[in-house]
Amino acid sequence: MKPNLEHNVKPYDDPAQNGRRSFGDALSPWLFLAPALLIFLYFKFIPMLRGVQMSFYKVSFGDADEWVGWDNFARVFTDEALRNAAGRTLLYVLVTVTLSAFIGLLLAQALQGTARHMRILRTAMFLPAVTSAAVVAEIWRILYAPTPAGVVNTVIGWVGAAPQGFFSNPDQALAALMGMHVWKHVPYDTVIFVAGLAGVNRELYDAAAVDGANAWHRFVHVTLPGLAPAITVVLTLGCIRGFRVFTEVYATTGGGPAGSTEVVMTHIYKQGFQELDFGYAAAASTVLFLFTAIATAAFLAWRRRGKR
Amino acid sequence: MKHAHLASWRSGAVASLVALWLMNSVTASAAAANDPGPLRIWTRSSNDGRKTYDAIAAAFTAKTGVRVEYFNATTDFEQRLARAAVGRDLPDVIINDGGSLGQFVNMGIVAPIARADIVGGADLHERAWRTATLPDGRVFAVPTSAQAHVMFIRKDWRTRLGLPVPQTWDDLAALAKAFTERDPDGNGRADTYGFVFPGSTARGYTAWFISSFLYQAGGDFVRQGADGSSRGALTEPAAIQTLSFFKRLLCDDKSVQAGAINATTQEANRAFISGQAGIYLSGPYHISLFDKEPGADRVEVVPAPAGPSGVRATLAGGELAFITKTTRRRADATRFIEFLISPEGQSLGTRPPQGGLPVVRLPVNRNLDAATAHQDPRWALVADEYLQHGKPLPLVPNWARLQQVAADGFNATLARCSSNVAADLQALNLKIDAELAKQRVRAR
Repeated sequence: MKPNLEHNVKPYDDPAQNGRRSFGDALSPWLFLAPALLIFLYFKFIPMLRGVQMSFYKVSFGDADEWVGWDNFARVFTDEALRNAAGRTLLYVLVTVTLSAFIGLLLAQALQGTARHMRILRTAMFLPAVTSAAVVAEIWRILYAPTPAGVVNTVIGWVGAAPQGFFSNPDQALAALMGMHVWKHVPYDTVIFVAGLAGVNRELYDAAAVDGANAWHRFVHVTLPGLAPAITVVLTLGCIRGFRVFTEVYATTGGGPAGSTEVVMTHIYKQGFQELDFGYAAAASTVLFLFTAIATAAFLAWRRRGKR
Repeated sequence: MKHAHLASWRSGAVASLVALWLMNSVTASAAAANDPGPLRIWTRSSNDGRKTYDAIAAAFTAKTGVRVEYFNATTDFEQRLARAAVGRDLPDVIINDGGSLGQFVNMGIVAPIARADIVGGADLHERAWRTATLPDGRVFAVPTSAQAHVMFIRKDWRTRLGLPVPQTWDDLAALAKAFTERDPDGNGRADTYGFVFPGSTARGYTAWFISSFLYQAGGDFVRQGADGSSRGALTEPAAIQTLSFFKRLLCDDKSVQAGAINATTQEANRAFISGQAGIYLSGPYHISLFDKEPGADRVEVVPAPAGPSGVRATLAGGELAFITKTTRRRADATRFIEFLISPEGQSLGTRPPQGGLPVVRLPVNRNLDAATAHQDPRWALVADEYLQHGKPLPLVPNWARLQQVAADGFNATLARCSSNVAADLQALNLKIDAELAKQRVRAR
């Protein structure tokens, strides 16, 4: 957190003035950061800490909160509905992250380059990523309309498939959600991969070609290692995004039908805002936060070790 | 170099001053809260309902000099209240539907009411007072409006197909099927459905909506003993019959609007308004809404059908006004509620201004007659349904919780056409009993 001030020290400064000057030097970055920090403090850090604090209480709305120690956390680990939701979330993350990274990589191969039409294509393709999740959800609800005249049903009808229920069918709703998620996040991954590809040394391809490597070999031995940092970013961001997926689910199925799309965040939301059990919801959120933080740190550490 | 350095130092200082000023203005506005200001009232109503409340407030202010500030919302109303409660920033008065009574009492945000202290309280229907009373007899609200569900049918569709107004479940199913299969809007496309069903578990809609049908089958969610204790009643044949009827509509006839199993009431309203489906059992507050679209000449308001053994019943409920525990303006809050239940306030509530919706559906005041208050014969039908066949939701300490349990169960059974209704209800009834036990009213 502490800003790096070393480069501000100027060797030709008069030592006599150094004391006063360095006070200003030390202060000015903090002054610049102050507006942002104050806003973060008020709207992010304090609410987050308050959330952690809340997870040790039975939050009461009319009277003082009641201290319950680790009770809420104990419930987090025995709540069967939460465990089911966690399982579903894990599956959701695995499928969507892998699938969007894979498709993103393929698209990046096709869309790399600096030609003008490529830039237009890339911009057009990026649109889903900048559309808000609520709007995407509304669009896909229309696309997935469970009627024979629904858009997706019409398309699959061309190959002779019967109309499907999608969000209305408990056996398909989660998969349908994953499809929507992948559609929204592939462009994001693609852009990161395109940037990653631009950084791969062209000479390596030439050298590989001279050594007789075919396209597949070049991809495996040159492109992939060169893309390692990009892959790390895509997977890390994808996992974080996946574990806290909420809007996409809440705005389409609300966790239904028959609870088939209940993920961790919708479950926590319902505990907090439908059952009005704020303390428990805060505890579950704290656990989810710690899990995400630890998983991310572990993954990055593993990546770093791999690099050595 | 020195100048640039100084300049950056200075602009940094300016930036942090701006931030300080921002924070100051936040605290300044918090300090202003010490001035009592207007009476703060939250209502769960749409913007059109809000217009009517505004008219009531204007009359109240003219009479008493007490200013009123509303906040209205239809979605996430209870959630917003919970957030306000945690932020220790509750309003003075809350007006919400009767199902929230136990929830608010449980949250500890509302204060008890002494009926004798409410001026004009003796003029209210006893039936209405009962919706504000907990099983143990404590009163926590004042009823401001009553209602019973009625059936809205696309009259133009029905007459085009030459079918009668449904009197029974079978009639209803037949009409729904005809609306689905026989192109009632005559546009040559198979794009209509019969029956509107808000099947989402949000706010317990699934159970709330099905309640009328459960009552028509002669069933109930719980059976109550004379001592106020209850046990789950979802293993009774009536419950099995009810869910089987819904499964018939959803799975066999496929005569329910698309995506019904995830539909909230707002989405259900849209399905009816947009001409996607033509039969909707709903609250009378929709009369004026559906008059705008699909249009008064296209929609008819009829009684809910009779169940398989001829039982006529429909969900009856109402609106309640609560005074919060934290208010420092109890006297003003009470005066507002007294005005709202007075003949004047009730009349204003039934006769919305231009573009408004009635916030008093059936007057709770005995001195007013529903049909004449609304000047609309359809409201006479609503009043008749309420008095003859209206059945309220069960009186348990926290109905909202129980309704959520029932809704989750009903939704799961109806989501899968392969489900076993009897077995599912058996399992659901155990959960209902467990919730009753949690609320300490389970019968031994």
